[in-house]
Parts: sequence; C-alpha cells; structure tokens
Amino acid sequence: MIDPVVVLALRAAGAALFASAALHKLRGFAEFRVALADYQLVPWWTSGIAARALVAAECATAVLLLSPLARPTGFAAAAGLLALYGAAIAVNLLRGRRDIDCGCFGPAQRAPLGVGLVVRNALLAAVALTGLLPTVDRPLGGVDAITAAALVLALALLHAAASQLIANAPRLRSLRGPA
Amino acid sequence: MSQALLVSNLLLWLAVLALAAVVYALARQIGVLHERVAPAGALIMSGGPRVGEPAPRFSGEDLSGRPVEIGGADAQGASTLLLFVSPGCPVCKALLPVVKSIAAQEGGRLRVVLASDGPLEEQRGFADEHALGALPLVVSTELGLAHRVAKLPHAVLIDAGGVVRAKGLVNTREHLESLFEAQRRGVASIQDLAAAGGVRRVG
Repeated sequence: MIDPVVVLALRAAGAALFASAALHKLRGFAEFRVALADYQLVPWWTSGIAARALVAAECATAVLLLSPLARPTGFAAAAGLLALYGAAIAVNLLRGRRDIDCGCFGPAQRAPLGVGLVVRNALLAAVALTGLLPTVDRPLGGVDAITAAALVLALALLHAAASQLIANAPRLRSLRGPA
Repeated sequence: MSQALLVSNLLLWLAVLALAAVVYALARQIGVLHERVAPAGALIMSGGPRVGEPAPRFSGEDLSGRPVEIGGADAQGASTLLLFVSPGCPVCKALLPVVKSIAAQEGGRLRVVLASDGPLEEQRGFADEHALGALPLVVSTELGLAHRVAKLPHAVLIDAGGVVRAKGLVNTREHLESLFEAQRRGVASIQDLAAAGGVRRVG
C-alpha cells in the first residue's frame, strides 16, 4: 500500500519524462532514426517506422499516465518502454558495441552506451512499477498538492543531474586516456 | 504541533529543491568543462566504415550529370574529400568557402565531392547560390546511409586506394584541417592522437 500523493507525483513526473523524451526525439528526428538504426535491432529500412512508433508510444504513455482512469496501463506502458530501452542498450553492450550513440539525451548531447544507462532505466522502471501498487484511500488536501509539486520538481532536477553525470562519465574516461 | 511540522516540512522541501538545483548546476558545469577541454578536432562519429577500412563503393551522377565514383582505387592517384552538406545547415554554408579554398590549394592531389540529400530543386538552388561550379554535388540518400551520416557537416577523407583515412563532424576550418593532419600522422582521429599522448592533455 502506498500513499496516493506518491502516485500522483509519479504520474506527473512520468508524463513529464515521456513528453520531454518524445519532444527531444521529434526535434532531432533524423538523428534519432540513425541512432536507432545503429542499435542494429531492426532492419535499417524499418528504422523510420520503428522510430515513429517509439515516439508515438512515448506520447501515448504520457497521455495514459495523466488520464485518471488509465493509470495502471500508463505505469505498465512506462515500465515496459523503459525496460525495452534498457534491454536494447544491454544487448548492444553485450555485443561489444559501446561506442554507438545512445540517442537518450536528445540531439544536443551525444553519449555512448554504458552500464550507467542500463542501471538508470532499471531504476526508472522499478519506480514506474511502484505506481501499480494499491493505494491507501484518503482524501487529498492542499498540503498534498505542495508535496506532489515539490516531489515532481525534485525528481525532474535529480533526473537531469543524473543524466548529465551519465553523459559526462565517458568524456571523463577519454580524458584520462586508455587505462 | 501540526503547524510546526507543516512549516518544517515546507522548509525541508525548499532545501531539497535548492540542493537538487545545485547538484544539477554542478553536473551541467562539469559537462560544459568537458566540452571546453575536449581536443579541438573533427569529432569522429561511430558507425559507418571505420578508419582503415575501404570506403563503400558508390557510383552516380552529380547535379549537372557528370559521373561520380566514390570508393575503389583512383586512377589519377588523388585522395577524395567527401563532404556531406545540406541546404538547411548553416554551418555547412559557412564551411563551403573553406572547402573551395582547400580544393584550389590541393589541386590535382585532392578531389572534393559534396553530398547532400533532399528535393532536387532545393539542391540546385543551393549549388547556384554558393557558386559551387566545379565542385560536384551528389544528391543521394544511399551515400549518406552507407557512411552513417548523423550530423552535418560530416567529412570523410578517402585515400587514392579507396581506404577511409579520416572522418568526422567538421564545424570549422580547424576541424577540416585536422582530417588531413590525421591522415598525415596515420591516426584515426584527433581524439586517438590525444589518447596516444600526441596532444598535451589539459589538467
């Protein structure tokens, strides 16, 4: 059992995460398509369709999370997408293809694949799954609104910081030179 | 009591948010520092033919219908600079005069081929506007895909034997020249050179 205010904050944070991810991909659609093709999981000629499908899935997830009735579907879709991305990265890490662009941080920032990204996705998917837990039935008041808003903001900032640090890690390694 | 807890809670939230903002700002600053410290050379992109591998063969026509062959041994013994550009890329436009001057400087030793993708009329307008004249402009999606071009302007330097000698994202004259430097020194990229200790590291 979890408190409804946590679920409320997770819904808003999840919707913001997927909406911003979809926006990044649309802004740099050509780059995203190439990055996706570079994962070598789908034949290159289907990469255009696959890229569009992923952007559509991200938009749909954001909408599902916001709509009160489809909440479990929204969280399940979010966890599914995050797990899918994590698996795609893990497969390429196992293949030894760590130097492809991950396409995770939008067109402005490129980053190679790394274990950090898989961990990030696993953590996010776990958080999304907690949204599926049954909630305590209690009325939400004004303080809850503040809690939810502050939690969303804090999560967004921490996520941005973590993403930046994950993107920095390979640059730091290249500065240190080959070990 | 409840009032006190509420006030304390609000203050704690403010502190948490302020700390999270500070952590983000610090991470961002580190990112910016990395950008500044990185060696100023053409940033090599993964994907596509690697340095030292033969360039994918391509034969087609340029905008004015002249045949263009890329890859394979060159009969005249000239290297090929393949530069991917687009009418919608301002950096590419800024780079064109540099490319023309390099082409003129190198004369017979270097063949410059521009490659783009998109509607033909737009490409013609682009070629006319920048008086590309003698430089062949190939319009082909296939060529861009073969070289896995993700960001423009992307340059690939192919030697007379048809082997990729250097490649990368070229935003400035220095980046473009770094490709020739990389070919001369026999390293894949300026980043490799830095890793090998050829460029003094900062810090």
